[in-house]
Amino acid sequence: MEMIIGGAYQGKTEYAKKEYPDLIWGEGSSLSREELFAAEGVLNFHEFIRREIKAGREVSDLAEALIRKNPKVVLVSQEVGYGVVPIDAFDRKYREAVGRVCTRLAAYSHKVTRVACGIGMVIKND
Amino acid sequence: MLILVTGGSGSGKSAFAEDRVLSLGEAKRIYIATMHPFDQESFKRIERHRKMRAGKGFDTVECYTGLKDVKISEDSVVLLECMSNLTANEMFEENGAHQKTVEEILAGVQRLKETARHVVIVTNEIFSDGVTFEEEMNIYLKYLGEINQAVAKMADEAVEVVYGIPVYLKKMDNNK
Repeated sequence: MEMIIGGAYQGKTEYAKKEYPDLIWGEGSSLSREELFAAEGVLNFHEFIRREIKAGREVSDLAEALIRKNPKVVLVSQEVGYGVVPIDAFDRKYREAVGRVCTRLAAYSHKVTRVACGIGMVIKND
Repeated sequence: MLILVTGGSGSGKSAFAEDRVLSLGEAKRIYIATMHPFDQESFKRIERHRKMRAGKGFDTVECYTGLKDVKISEDSVVLLECMSNLTANEMFEENGAHQKTVEEILAGVQRLKETARHVVIVTNEIFSDGVTFEEEMNIYLKYLGEINQAVAKMADEAVEVVYGIPVYLKKMDNNK
């Protein structure tokens, strides 16, 4: 598994597509759980988490399920949770869930790259 | 040794900080808890952290304000969590330091550093939303930003935790 993370509008998608020009990318804002488990690469993975929470589905098992069913996937996800704790309860839950899921996935991933200003910085490479 | 651990929400900074304390060897471990519980969510949060710490041999000391008055023995390894709560408490609680928040907290950190064998301080990256907040929130961000900078300067090591991965901002060997 591999992760490409970073803030919004930092060129993560472009970076990912450049790194992996032959990969077929799924879109986190529209794919189903089954499609996620079958995807080669996923863009906007955080949007998938948001949709699951919004639909009232539990995400605490998501990381383990993904590791089991799709251990070679490349995930592109926005880093959230770098601002003041939001007043809205859903926003608080969402940003923390993204963090927990991605922390588990990053521990499993052999490579994690953080993109800022379009530049990728490899922060883990086992 | 003084170590500053920072990171965003859900970044795994607490787990990292606890592991760092354990890596410093056998010692009397003191956990300075700063979160003043006020609702269901904060009780749940505290419970989650308690479970994480269970079995790691920490004695918990609550400190909502007045860090410099916390009793610490000389042979202890201290984990303070979290600077963002402590700063808010000093600013907004009745018996807090209010306009003297930064000085009060830094005096407390200085005392911890002088007293304990090792100190690990967890803080919070809450500075990157780019939204204009109300005045009070801006003052809070300014105070916490000043505290983080000053503690990083005093620290032997400063590390940002990104999804559980340590990204070192300052390390022992390039210490001045």
